[in-house]
Amino acid sequence: MFPEGAATLFSQAVLVKALRRLSAHGRTGGLQARRHFTTTRCLTGKTHPVRKPKEKVDIPGLERVTFGERKHYMPGLAKPVNPHWERDYKDPRFYRTPPAQEMPLYKEKPCYVYNQRTNALEGVLQALWLTKTKLISGLPPHLLSLVENPANQIPNQDERVQNAIKHARFWDTTENRPNKSKYSNTLLSNLLHVCATLQSSHPAMGRRLFADKYSLAASWQRGEDLLQIKGQNGLLHTCMDPLPEVSGKQEVADTEDHALKSFYPVSPTIDLQKINLYKEVNSSGFRDGYPYPHAHTLYFLDGVDTRCKLRPDQFRAKMVMFAFGNALARAKTLYGPQPQRLLEHPITVQAVGSNGRVFHFLVFQLNTTDLSGDDGIKNQVWLDEDADLYEFAKVRPLIKKKQVKVPAGLTGYKPETFSKFLALYLHGAV
Amino acid sequence: MAVWCLTRALRSLTVSQPALLSSQAVAQTKLGAQTCVEQCRGFLTTASLEQNKTLWKQKEKYTVKPIGMKKTGGRDFTGKIRTHGIGGGHKRRYRWVDFQRLRYEEEREAKPFDEKVVEVRYDPCRSADIALVAGGSRKRWIIATENMQAGDIIKTSGVIGRMAVSANEGDAYPLGALPVGTLVNNLEIQPGKGSEYIRAAGTSGILLRKVNGTAIVQLPSKRQVQVLETCIVTVGRVSNVDHNKEVIGKAGRNRWFGVRPSSGLWQRKGGWAGRKIKPLPPMKSYVNMPSIAAK
Repeated sequence: MFPEGAATLFSQAVLVKALRRLSAHGRTGGLQARRHFTTTRCLTGKTHPVRKPKEKVDIPGLERVTFGERKHYMPGLAKPVNPHWERDYKDPRFYRTPPAQEMPLYKEKPCYVYNQRTNALEGVLQALWLTKTKLISGLPPHLLSLVENPANQIPNQDERVQNAIKHARFWDTTENRPNKSKYSNTLLSNLLHVCATLQSSHPAMGRRLFADKYSLAASWQRGEDLLQIKGQNGLLHTCMDPLPEVSGKQEVADTEDHALKSFYPVSPTIDLQKINLYKEVNSSGFRDGYPYPHAHTLYFLDGVDTRCKLRPDQFRAKMVMFAFGNALARAKTLYGPQPQRLLEHPITVQAVGSNGRVFHFLVFQLNTTDLSGDDGIKNQVWLDEDADLYEFAKVRPLIKKKQVKVPAGLTGYKPETFSKFLALYLHGAV
Repeated sequence: MAVWCLTRALRSLTVSQPALLSSQAVAQTKLGAQTCVEQCRGFLTTASLEQNKTLWKQKEKYTVKPIGMKKTGGRDFTGKIRTHGIGGGHKRRYRWVDFQRLRYEEEREAKPFDEKVVEVRYDPCRSADIALVAGGSRKRWIIATENMQAGDIIKTSGVIGRMAVSANEGDAYPLGALPVGTLVNNLEIQPGKGSEYIRAAGTSGILLRKVNGTAIVQLPSKRQVQVLETCIVTVGRVSNVDHNKEVIGKAGRNRWFGVRPSSGLWQRKGGWAGRKIKPLPPMKSYVNMPSIAAK
């Protein structure tokens, strides 16, 4: 139609125009050609629903004609089936885990694991059932009376504690206010520091050490289920000497009559991780011969772990479980892995949980490691929940209807909460 | 994948200049070079690839955790509009409701079981409220009934006894076990398939009569269906009874719910407008269909 020169000119003009248009759109022409404007938009649209794989029919004695010998695809001929090839060397890039059943740790009987992020539905009630424990609300009275002795009190106690709170809530930041995970952490270390000033009068306090990020593992049999507690959690105060037992022999014997509360229809193992690959390990997180083998107190912080949020009841359940886990791991190293009906010397572990304002205190006494049945001796736990250290710590006052409802600064300080904290700290050193 | 796409795109930019041409231009320039137009999907960034993921629909293991989902805008998997008037709205997360109420727990024998209601809450994906129930060592979401509260114990049974049971609200029984005249919801049409009827807020059906192995239920639309008497129903009325009295208030609020305005084109009112008096459709029977037996 056109002379040849005109054709080339025209085509070049088209080319330039097309290029310009494409560069303006920021797309490549090659890709333009790849968009399927001619076909349906099905090909470029959303993903297709997953097609069921075709059933392959194998007729014995009949072999399919494949295109294997031709070395190229041929319509109508079947795809050749190649034998499975395994490399004879190890390549971590192409490592495939074997199915769980073929792993060496696989066991038929499942194990229920409680870890630091377990959000147990029934809370403390469930923890009590799992550990076969009797709950006594309030701390033991002889423990609280420790603080009434003026020798065991810190000079200027209230002022120093208030300063510790103010430091954590107001002064320990360059921002307007520190966030929760920061101030709860600071408050705990401040309070521990205040308590530690008593060391000059109580030299036994020097025989303790803090351990963070220790990993605990303990397993036990409860009913027909195998249970395990595992995880890294809390700041552990370890001690050279064991804590004295809290309740006497008679009280321990009386726990036999106590009946555990049930929460039918919910199973006690709800929300625990069920696994078939496990080892029945028992370790307190430290090697043999560690000079501070006895767990004294566990300090838990709520809201520090951003991956899990626990409600107060579930948080207390975690405290019970980990205090129990520490005691059980210690008991198993002392008395052997066989369950003991009645421990000669009960093992006591304390726990303190806080979210920077509200404190939970707990004393756990492990009386028995024979947990399989519901009868017999039970363990004991003393739980003091929801004790406020202070009511408000406001950077700016809360004003409603032009009236100051809550003034700025620290208000509503409660000294009795700190005295409980101090009592647990002093326990074993007096 | 994304890196692969990017390198492909860059390569086609720099090296293969002839490929930039449309096929007509290539023919006219007589370059003689064979350009191969590949059959592939074009330039996909990671964002657009993510868009295609419908993994949330393809989970195999049940979970009570809310699942994040993508908005479809009423489009189906081919990209065509399947339902008009959907788009926008507040972000929603899907809570997987277990409609098969009589689902026995694995490793437990098949006998009637109890469950405890943990919480009753709003669900953005449906008009009725949903309830989290726990029983044994599992938790699941179900459709809440009218007076269901946290702490209630609800029963599920698959047994049809000789006597009709006196069921409490929220319990689930086969139709054959219930007395005639009971208000029911969450009706299965095939035993073991999971409930499909009477799930909207405030609705309930009535068990009208039982005829040799089948039961006849009146749906909220007054239509009657005949199903096998082994179909499981929940007793009572679905929660959120005042859903039909809720005042939307303004057009924008409907948009929050993801409803788009209708077309606005003026159309002459025809036969579709106005009240029609016509007889109810005849009773629908689901009895002779092959049943999917429960596991």
